[in-house]
Amino acid sequence: MRPFAYERATDVRSAVATLSERPDAVYLGGGTNLVDLMRLGVVSPEMLVDVTRVVDATIEESAGGGLLIGAGVRNGDLTADPLVRGRYPVLAQAVLSGASGQIRNMATVGGNLLQRTRCSYFQDTSKPCNKRRPGSGCPAREGDHRNLAILGHSSSCVATHPSDMAVALAALGAVVHVEGRHGPRTVPMPGLHRLPGDEPDRDTVLEPGDLITAVELPELPFATRSRYRKVRDRASFAFAVVSVAAALDVADGVVRDCRIALGGVAPVPWRAELAESALRGAAATAAEFGRAADIELAQARPLRDNGFKVPLARNVLVGVLTDLAEAR
Amino acid sequence: MTDIQVTSPVRDGVGASAPRPDGTLKVTGEFAYASDLWMDGMLHGATLRSPHPRARILSVDLTGALKLPGVEAVLTHEDVPGAKLYGVDHADQPVLAIDQVRYQGEPIAVVAADHPETARRACALIRVVYEVLEPLTDPRRAALDPSYEKVHAGGNVVRHQPIRVGSVFEADVVVTGEYEVGMQDQAFLGPESGLAVPAEDGGVDLYVATQWLHVDQDQIAPCLGLPPEKVRLTLAGVGGAFGAREDLSMQIHACLLALHTGKPVRIVYGREESFFGHVHRHPALMRYEHGATRDGRLVYVKGEIILDGGAYASSTPAVVGNAASLGVGPYSVPNISLDAYGVYTNNPPCGAMRGFGAVQACFGYESQLDRLAEACGLDPVEVRIRNAISEGSRIATGQIVDMPAPLTSMLEQVRDLPLPEGVSTDLRDLPGGVANSTHGEGIVRGVGYGIGIKNICYSEGFDDFSTARVRLEVIGEEAAVLVHTAAAEVGQGLVTLKAQIARTELGVPNVTIAPADTQVGSAGSSSASRQSYVTGGAVKTACEAVRERLLELAAKKLSHDGLALSGGKIVSVSGIVVASVAEVLGDDVIEETREYRHRATAPMDQLTGQGDAHTQFAFCVHRAVVDVDVELGLVKVVELAAVQDVGKILNPIALEGQIHGGTAQGLGLALMEEIQVAGGLIRNPSFTDYLIPTILDMPPMRLEILENPDPHAPYGLRGAGEPPTLSSTPAIVAAVRAATGKSLMRIPVRPEHITGT
Amino acid sequence: MRVTFTVNGSQQTVDDVWEGESLLYVLRERCGLPGSKNACEQGECGSCTVYLDGSPVCACLVAAGQAEGRTVRTVEGLSDTGLDPVQEAFLDAGAVQCGFCTPGLIVQAHDLLERVPDPEDAEIREALAGNLCRCTGYEKILDAVRLAAARRTAK
Repeated sequence: MRPFAYERATDVRSAVATLSERPDAVYLGGGTNLVDLMRLGVVSPEMLVDVTRVVDATIEESAGGGLLIGAGVRNGDLTADPLVRGRYPVLAQAVLSGASGQIRNMATVGGNLLQRTRCSYFQDTSKPCNKRRPGSGCPAREGDHRNLAILGHSSSCVATHPSDMAVALAALGAVVHVEGRHGPRTVPMPGLHRLPGDEPDRDTVLEPGDLITAVELPELPFATRSRYRKVRDRASFAFAVVSVAAALDVADGVVRDCRIALGGVAPVPWRAELAESALRGAAATAAEFGRAADIELAQARPLRDNGFKVPLARNVLVGVLTDLAEAR
Repeated sequence: MTDIQVTSPVRDGVGASAPRPDGTLKVTGEFAYASDLWMDGMLHGATLRSPHPRARILSVDLTGALKLPGVEAVLTHEDVPGAKLYGVDHADQPVLAIDQVRYQGEPIAVVAADHPETARRACALIRVVYEVLEPLTDPRRAALDPSYEKVHAGGNVVRHQPIRVGSVFEADVVVTGEYEVGMQDQAFLGPESGLAVPAEDGGVDLYVATQWLHVDQDQIAPCLGLPPEKVRLTLAGVGGAFGAREDLSMQIHACLLALHTGKPVRIVYGREESFFGHVHRHPALMRYEHGATRDGRLVYVKGEIILDGGAYASSTPAVVGNAASLGVGPYSVPNISLDAYGVYTNNPPCGAMRGFGAVQACFGYESQLDRLAEACGLDPVEVRIRNAISEGSRIATGQIVDMPAPLTSMLEQVRDLPLPEGVSTDLRDLPGGVANSTHGEGIVRGVGYGIGIKNICYSEGFDDFSTARVRLEVIGEEAAVLVHTAAAEVGQGLVTLKAQIARTELGVPNVTIAPADTQVGSAGSSSASRQSYVTGGAVKTACEAVRERLLELAAKKLSHDGLALSGGKIVSVSGIVVASVAEVLGDDVIEETREYRHRATAPMDQLTGQGDAHTQFAFCVHRAVVDVDVELGLVKVVELAAVQDVGKILNPIALEGQIHGGTAQGLGLALMEEIQVAGGLIRNPSFTDYLIPTILDMPPMRLEILENPDPHAPYGLRGAGEPPTLSSTPAIVAAVRAATGKSLMRIPVRPEHITGT
Repeated sequence: MRVTFTVNGSQQTVDDVWEGESLLYVLRERCGLPGSKNACEQGECGSCTVYLDGSPVCACLVAAGQAEGRTVRTVEGLSDTGLDPVQEAFLDAGAVQCGFCTPGLIVQAHDLLERVPDPEDAEIREALAGNLCRCTGYEKILDAVRLAAARRTAK
């Protein structure tokens, strides 16, 4: 690990000011991902600015009828929150399906959104990786990519986004509150994370100095009927092979509205907009769900060893929607 | 002596669930594992390893590392004063790489510094220029293609062991299969660690987590250029082993650095380094052809087992011996043509892991038995019963099984255990569990069976023995026993068992277990499920010798004939207590040291594999019940039931723990565990990416433990640690096959193998 | 840098801490508390589980500076006198083999029973899913937690 300085922020503005001036500095939240990446040598900041004590860590109802979740809220507290569990079960389930109790007790909402990929080449500093070292190449394309992207990848990067929580937030259309050099602003989800294109080192649209301060969930009454499902290689504590976050509004056997996002299949939490539009007004049947899934997944460009994710994603998606349609 | 019946009223003797003597320290966090050792002024060691699986080393420049403040030594092969090569079986592995590297992670240089981070940074400052070569990674070519380039000058085949029995290789029913076993890691939790302390006599004291102190000493001393008595080893707390500590890791490096700097040096591997720092289970490519009569009786087996040993020999020769001699399983087969190969490649070195060659074969032959059952229209248990060996049968090597082998009744027993209830309605019990990944719509239940045969103790003519020193004296007016062996307690509970044996044999409740070190004779390795047998036998024998001397002393002091030891008292022929042990001893101290050997074994014939290679066989049978989500490819193991014959239960709770743990490692191999290697490079050296079962992956386990004594073994016991690791894997895979109809020729089984896409 | 925090009830000030050290390293190497174990140093195994301000976390992923001013309780500090019921139950149930995972499991199980005195098996499994054990197959660990729960409730 490279030597670095550690500083505890006293307030949000000064933290943002510090990072705006120092491109070699990063924010430290729960640290569950950053500390690990520093130990692996994947990232080597010269300064850590600990913002855990200055970022809001409460969950409250927002003016718009949704919820405002402080970026400092611990993942464990998020899953336990009655408002979240009652109104947005998909979010509580997604967070609960990730990591372990100990990790969720540390990890924050802001940090969870900014997790880096678990692509093994990104983690392995002895290998090239365009995300870690722009221009060095992507060995995953021809190498080990069983668990990498089938959607949205580029010739320079085929990594997947690892967060479960972000998949639920993308489905719910959450809005990310950011404090930046020029003051506060909001970034809608999806939209926070960016596809790799030829700049895979930039995971998000955030600018230097930007600090996530909160995540706002819009009012979405039918999200009480929402669910997260995750397929992984063991029963707990493993990243998604494929996951689906979905909310469904059904009346008289017809889909009035829906929100769908996929995880484990793309460099970003993948909002399935094509499937959503195909479903609005369609019959809430397994056949229609399958048709919608096929429309979405027609864009898939699987690699040599991860073609299995296409039918798997279809099966999970159909399963979740069928389940939601039948739920009361 | 022989007519003395030691009835053991003593508490916590043999047969009791005696508590672990190290238990309290382990639950309070005070138990000193090797990575916890600490000395004032000690230095921290780190290892520079090769990033390439095959390369020539053109130059090594230490300048930058040596300049870094805090660094006290940077050593390469040139600083190894004695032998440059070592190895547990034969010395083919450089202490530090010489001019070339043969696997990714091979040590090139070691550093000692005042902080572990400084040592790691110094490693990063060493400049090595490599000429990178194409790695040789195809084990089949290494085994069979003489034109394949060579990893070592002597050729790529470390050992080829044929089995040739009979000449009839035609049958009415023939089933074939090609199977593959991925590379499993022992994944013990306590990483490789040790502390080397330079001694005034020019020697070194090494406190280390290992499986066999004396074989470490035998390898370390020549490399240091020291006589063995100047390299003294003491066992530090061991955080699991499972075979991974049979080979040296940091031992020589720490000693070199300590002797070079004159300061204590501690080396503690991190998890990633641990994946590169020890050998793994050999991956296997297997082809089987089973011929049988229409009613499912085996006529012949043809087989080929190729075990990838990676860059260095490690224990590959013995692993090949097991795979060959046990390659057709616990079945009577009149005609056999089987070839087992262990080969060199530039893949990670492989060696000992629980089950040791028998695990890979068991997946192959048990999968074949299921195919045979299907081809003959038989129940999988029935086809096994029709072919199972029993006491008096011959195994593939021609050796007669001269101990109970109640396989038929074990199979019937496991089959007849009540089955768990149908598919659960609790989401948490379904495949995917709390990830909510299924709601029961695509769930299919399957049941499968597996049975395995494992040799216990070292085989093939190895002089396999253990040594125990037992001392009886009065401490504080009470008789006290001190048991001293060099046997490694790695978590299995041998430390408990030694005390239980001493209590039983001497009737003295107060037993202390001395730390294991090289100040007493070798105990052999804590592997091959052998320590209860061999070190247990040594402790028992030494206690008997102490008892004999105690009675002689009693006869002399009490002028009384026909005395016996019973219930910790000296009793007369009529059973009347005449004195306590303490009264007889007074100020006398009785100490006896004994070596114990199991029955001698013989080598296998090099051309036919025939020979009495093993001293004991152990058997376990598993029934697995699984629920499979066929749409998502997820498996939930609902229950694992096992029947195992252990000869004699010495400590019920510890024994159950062994069977549970072995079963869990077999589940891991069946469903998730694999070191993924591509082009000689390990892709997943972390617990994030190398998945071992969590508590959510393990089902409830049901055990039936049998006690059919082996007349040749102490107390009639049978080694117990390994057999469950063999049979749980094929049972689980068979259950998944039964649920899905998929052939599943490779383990670990992954979701995409089940969804079939 | 200097880090001041409360460990097992007493305030500790540790000097010359390098910023890159973890709370686990500080506890083990600087505070003389090696009970929390270093098995993966990636938060994947739970062997280093300690209470941080009352919540169990993986000490290997807590940067030393993050511990400043906070309260830490390790396996060494679970009981002032004798053994905590969870520790006792791990012994009695045979849940300890090599023992390297044991301290972390005990802290995590301790937290579970503080929150849920009479957990169902599924709750025990979920709570302990972040703690890897390689020796026991977890069966005796489940027994231990059930036993500890029963004893605590009986008290």
